[in-house]
Amino acid sequence: MHALKISRKSLGIPYAVFLLLFIALPLVVLFYYAFTNGQGQFTISNLTGFFTDPNTLGTLCYSFGIALVTTLVCLLLAYPTAFILANSHLKQKHVLLLLFIMPMWINFSLRITALKEILTLIEGNLARYPFFNAVVGMTYDFLPFMILPIYNTLSRLDGSLIEAAKDLGANDTGAFLKVTLPLSVPGIISGVSMVFLPAMTNYVVLDMLYNSTYIMGSLIGSYFSAYNWHGGSMIALILLAIIILFTLLTHGMEEDNENPVGGALL
Amino acid sequence: MSRIKRIPAVLLAAGFCISAAGSALFLPGTGLTAEASSSDKTILRVCNWEEYIDLGDWDEEEVIDLESGDIFGENSMVSDFEEWYKETYGKEVVVEYSTFGTNEDLYNMLTLGDEYDLVCPSEYMFMKLMAEDMLVPLSDDFFDGEDENNYYTRGVSPYIRNIFDTHEINGENWSKYAAGYMWGITGIVYNPEVLTQEEASTWKILDDPAYSRQVTIKDNVRDSYFAAVGALKADLLTSEEFRTAPDYAQRLEEEMNDVSPETIAMVQDYLQDVKNNVYSFETDSGKADMITGKVVANYQWSGDAVYTMDQADEDDYELCFAVPEESTNIYFDGWVMLKNGIRENAEKQHAAEAFINFCSRPDNVVRNMYYIGYTSVIGGGEDPRVFEYLDWSYGAEEDEEEVTDYPLGYFFSGDPGDEDYVITAPTDQLNRQLGTQYPSEETISRSSIMIYFDGEKNDVINQMWINVRCYNIKDVPVWIWILAAGILAGLFFLYVNARRMRKMYA
Repeated sequence: MHALKISRKSLGIPYAVFLLLFIALPLVVLFYYAFTNGQGQFTISNLTGFFTDPNTLGTLCYSFGIALVTTLVCLLLAYPTAFILANSHLKQKHVLLLLFIMPMWINFSLRITALKEILTLIEGNLARYPFFNAVVGMTYDFLPFMILPIYNTLSRLDGSLIEAAKDLGANDTGAFLKVTLPLSVPGIISGVSMVFLPAMTNYVVLDMLYNSTYIMGSLIGSYFSAYNWHGGSMIALILLAIIILFTLLTHGMEEDNENPVGGALL
Repeated sequence: MSRIKRIPAVLLAAGFCISAAGSALFLPGTGLTAEASSSDKTILRVCNWEEYIDLGDWDEEEVIDLESGDIFGENSMVSDFEEWYKETYGKEVVVEYSTFGTNEDLYNMLTLGDEYDLVCPSEYMFMKLMAEDMLVPLSDDFFDGEDENNYYTRGVSPYIRNIFDTHEINGENWSKYAAGYMWGITGIVYNPEVLTQEEASTWKILDDPAYSRQVTIKDNVRDSYFAAVGALKADLLTSEEFRTAPDYAQRLEEEMNDVSPETIAMVQDYLQDVKNNVYSFETDSGKADMITGKVVANYQWSGDAVYTMDQADEDDYELCFAVPEESTNIYFDGWVMLKNGIRENAEKQHAAEAFINFCSRPDNVVRNMYYIGYTSVIGGGEDPRVFEYLDWSYGAEEDEEEVTDYPLGYFFSGDPGDEDYVITAPTDQLNRQLGTQYPSEETISRSSIMIYFDGEKNDVINQMWINVRCYNIKDVPVWIWILAAGILAGLFFLYVNARRMRKMYA
């Protein structure tokens, strides 16, 4: 028993080493660079610089805008799809679900290159609609990440709750709004966080679809290629802070829904 | 080949973290790359651009049959060099050949502790390396024209030699440290069905609304800066008075390298307009977009322009090349030896210089040019094969109707009027591959070198470039602000309401 314990513990060592080398250590380096200048002295000018420069702030807004619109579009497309899938009595609904996930199995850059050609066919000249293209590209890329969590929540929903609501006089719309929707909030939240945050930084989509405006990811890259490790690290850190903030916020919302029965009573 | 590629930031960040971690764990230079000094083999570590040397393995029908004999790339040039070195000098050398993607990558590799003996950066980067005292000067023996193995000094074009001899940094000539490899100019590849030669011969095409979203620009600060300065100063640069001034060449170089704060500010404004007018900022994709007709004009380096036109020819789609009237950026890639690689090892330095010479042997020059499409700095000197190759590639067939004599004496012999170096070529070649690969003397007369931006200027210009690509918060329309405020207020109301309701029922 004793020997087993040790071996179990030692199983974790590779991951601990990995954690240390590739997560903890780089984070330390990131912090170091973010709060120093070229001479290695401590400074917060990288931080204040970010929040006083109209260009970096504008880029943050632009990334936010793209991410927000992408998330909304994904949600509007994904929710009905997931709802129909979860409530269909088809025997083959797993096959249907697979159809939505399958694009994820195809190489990302291949998909976007194909999308580029299709958009060119439709629009004539791709470069005229940079924002629209970015949203289409991101939606195409991230939609499955929105469908899956919502579908999971909806398919596990206790049908008796809806029956109860109807017994008590709710019509279809009322039952949906007061029972199904509130209960699917956890799925929505996890979908949103899987789409919104990557959409703020996934600049490869923008690059490939010829949107010449930087978003957060490309902004970091541009600082690095100008040898400005300090500014780039600070932006990476600010993104990290935004992600943590977002996670805390959504976590708080999920806790509000901890008691699903209470939610259903609304 | 693409001279500059963008590395995804993710990779960069990961690489950066790992190398940072790596250098913390293994102090740089301690051991991992132990020198094989005990054996009598010399190891030569060469780092060159990707796809920038002949790798051999040609198809049999690819033989280049010149008057002075056939040229054929059987094995890679690197292994041919190892063999040749043993035959010529009786010593063994092993070449460790690696590649880099951009000048900046190479510089990062060097500063993070990678060791190479011989590298091939562009002129502004070797100027930077010279200024930072990282290079070993070429030996006197290297320039000894009596030695028949010194193919570089015996074959380099007088025009290029002059540039390397007259350009200096901190009082030292380029030629003290650098031996040229390839060179070229910048210009515009265009579709002659849409644009005339004249319309394409200006940098102003980049923000011309007539070609809105149909032109591409380079995705790097130096090339874009040059084009912007050219467009902004177009009136001055093309004026008769400026053109005919006795110190034209010198003044042109000063104007094109103008990095005064006012010019930088103007360039930023200009490039912001350009951003809203061009199809894309590209490094590689412009070639394909040009060939498929998605764009009608494409800011291009001459080597890649030749490649683009070649590819288009295969589809029977004609493209041409125009050199802006204002000025064109002439650039060079050159071999330099690094101090922390050579480390005063005479054997190594000898092998490095021999490598440069071997790449400058006329048959090898032809192989490289055929393989990569760029233009070698070697004219061949006494050896006629480089010029014969040019004639073989572009010379007019006998039944050709419209032909023009194209003099290239300035490059091959140093005498512009030299009748031995005139190619009779189909007239349309003058603004196609021939005129691109070997620009005319007239074109070259309005070329300017772009020196490297040093220290603070570099930071300011890099920041300018980032600003160009950013979205300025002042450009956010008012209705977006109102909408955003509305959404926030709505969300807040929903949240508060939900809490209140929950408390009521709980």
